[in-house]
Amino acid sequence: MKRARILMLIAPVAVLIFLFIVLPYVTVLLMSFRAPADGQPYGAGFSVEGYRQFFSQNYYALSLPQTMGLGIVTSLVCLLLGYPVALHIATAPKRWRGLLYGIVLSPLLVGIVVRSYGWTILLGNAGVINTTLRNLGLIERPLPLMYNEFGVVLALAHVFLPFMVLPLLASLQTADPAVRQAARSLGAGRFTVFRRVTLPMSMPGIQSGCILVFVLAISSYVTPALVGGMRVKTTTLLVVDALIDQFQWPFGSAMALTLAISAGIVVLIFARLTRIRWS
Amino acid sequence: MTEVSLLSLVKSYGKSTALKGISLEVGHGEFVSLLGPSGCGKSTTLKCIAGFEDVTDGKILFDSKDISRKLPEDRDIGMVFQSYALFPHMTVERNLAFGLEMRRMARSEIAERVARAMDMVQLTPYADRYPKALSGGQQQRVALARALVIEPAILLLDEPLANLDAKLRDEMRGFIRDLQKRVGITTIYVTHDQNEAMTMSDRVVVMFDGKIAQAAPPEDVYDRPASERVARFVGNANILDLAVAGQMHGRTSLSVPGGGRLAVTGGGDTPATRLRVMARPEQIALTGPGEGHLDGRITKRYFSGGHVEYHVETECGTLNVLSPTTQNMAEGANVGLTFDTQRLWPLPDSARAAEPAA
Repeated sequence: MKRARILMLIAPVAVLIFLFIVLPYVTVLLMSFRAPADGQPYGAGFSVEGYRQFFSQNYYALSLPQTMGLGIVTSLVCLLLGYPVALHIATAPKRWRGLLYGIVLSPLLVGIVVRSYGWTILLGNAGVINTTLRNLGLIERPLPLMYNEFGVVLALAHVFLPFMVLPLLASLQTADPAVRQAARSLGAGRFTVFRRVTLPMSMPGIQSGCILVFVLAISSYVTPALVGGMRVKTTTLLVVDALIDQFQWPFGSAMALTLAISAGIVVLIFARLTRIRWS
Repeated sequence: MTEVSLLSLVKSYGKSTALKGISLEVGHGEFVSLLGPSGCGKSTTLKCIAGFEDVTDGKILFDSKDISRKLPEDRDIGMVFQSYALFPHMTVERNLAFGLEMRRMARSEIAERVARAMDMVQLTPYADRYPKALSGGQQQRVALARALVIEPAILLLDEPLANLDAKLRDEMRGFIRDLQKRVGITTIYVTHDQNEAMTMSDRVVVMFDGKIAQAAPPEDVYDRPASERVARFVGNANILDLAVAGQMHGRTSLSVPGGGRLAVTGGGDTPATRLRVMARPEQIALTGPGEGHLDGRITKRYFSGGHVEYHVETECGTLNVLSPTTQNMAEGANVGLTFDTQRLWPLPDSARAAEPAA
């Protein structure tokens, strides 16, 4: 009776997940093992040609570590930038918190395309930063700020920063302030309290924030495409290229699946390394 | 052991003043409770002593050394919080070791002291557990051991039993008291529970509105409260407003409605015409009608196992009477009331000239 009612309640979500997550994954899985063909998306029969093509050519295969690296660096940058922000908001007076939350979330109000395009205006060779520096006579040639990893990480970090700050904030705010006081009463100075109490207690937030930003960063398309200008090859860009421009569905599917599995492995390793035994 | 002196502490938050001049001496190894309703300033006082709040004015001395400007980490205190405030990411053992590590003690010495502390609170089998895996009472004991293992100058406890259920609370009460006596550490204990304050303390400090209303041993606070407010806050109080019939040799004779007389010790030297006296419920005995100081009728009767509580309607208002169960009266019965005149207490703040009785 009660079970039946609970099943009814989760049914809509279950159907949604089945239709739009399980089914597409099965389709992609099947497609990745189809035989390639000329003049049409895929041919008759099954083969592992898609995977062979990906792993046998450096141009494609090397995009995988490149993408993972990009995701990891973006997570780290977000963590370093986001932690002080989260700490500040968590300890700010209650009446300021709403406003500070708003400021952190405000980037999400602007579409991702607009934000990425904004970065091209700032970072380009004839962009705001380079022009200013040149006019001031500080540089002669424009600094390479765009169409490289630096620009992509910068723009990604900006776009995904809120996804780091929010989980950090949640874990910092649930921590009982008396615990920090207890540490001080036991003789720990402010910095020691941070290092030995506040930081380790916020580990759940660090964990979920890093995973969130990592997953979002490696699967993002618009920002690497605009700011990286196809010169920073991420696997995601290659997948879209294979599926839409080259019309090689089995190859694109194989790459997409390889990316997803690799990301899963990286996340698992990270979760394992930062395992929290105390909660 | 350390002596603590508070010298007219004042704490203001903007326009509101939480502490309005708190002065208190706590002796070597003394157990003092700060007792009062919420908002009376007891917790603020404790936070000032711990250093989590700056004092606006006044001084805090540990063994005559002014520590009011020191950081909490430099005050050498052990503190137990209402929420226990254990480090959730450390095992019981690591929790206890933390304060010793801060003191840069040798590893072997830390291990030895931690082992002794765990033994003291009977938690040795739980050394490797995280706080989440412990019951409330066990967490409480870890918090206590963590505060004591550093052998601090003073021990501060902020309503440590408020989150425990009644039975465990009674147990922990005795446990804390015994431990404190054994260690002999100067202790300041904050509570809003008068029972807790009475049973545990050498001295109870009753606070209202940021001021100390009375600081005295539990017996004095209970039997000889400094004011009507203290009388009512600490236990149940029957207050009788009686006319003064005469005063002689430091004793005051009061006339009771119905023609009786009550003699009490004290009552002030002022030629007051009325006096308010306090009688605790167990200091009134029930007798036959006309045989006591005052007559009345039982309106309510509550049986509570060890005692029976009666509400008796009299010309002095409804009085609370606590009797042993051997003496059983029915609701509606007419009775006489006999006061324990030795313990009747004329409230010091009540002597005043004639005015209409309330």
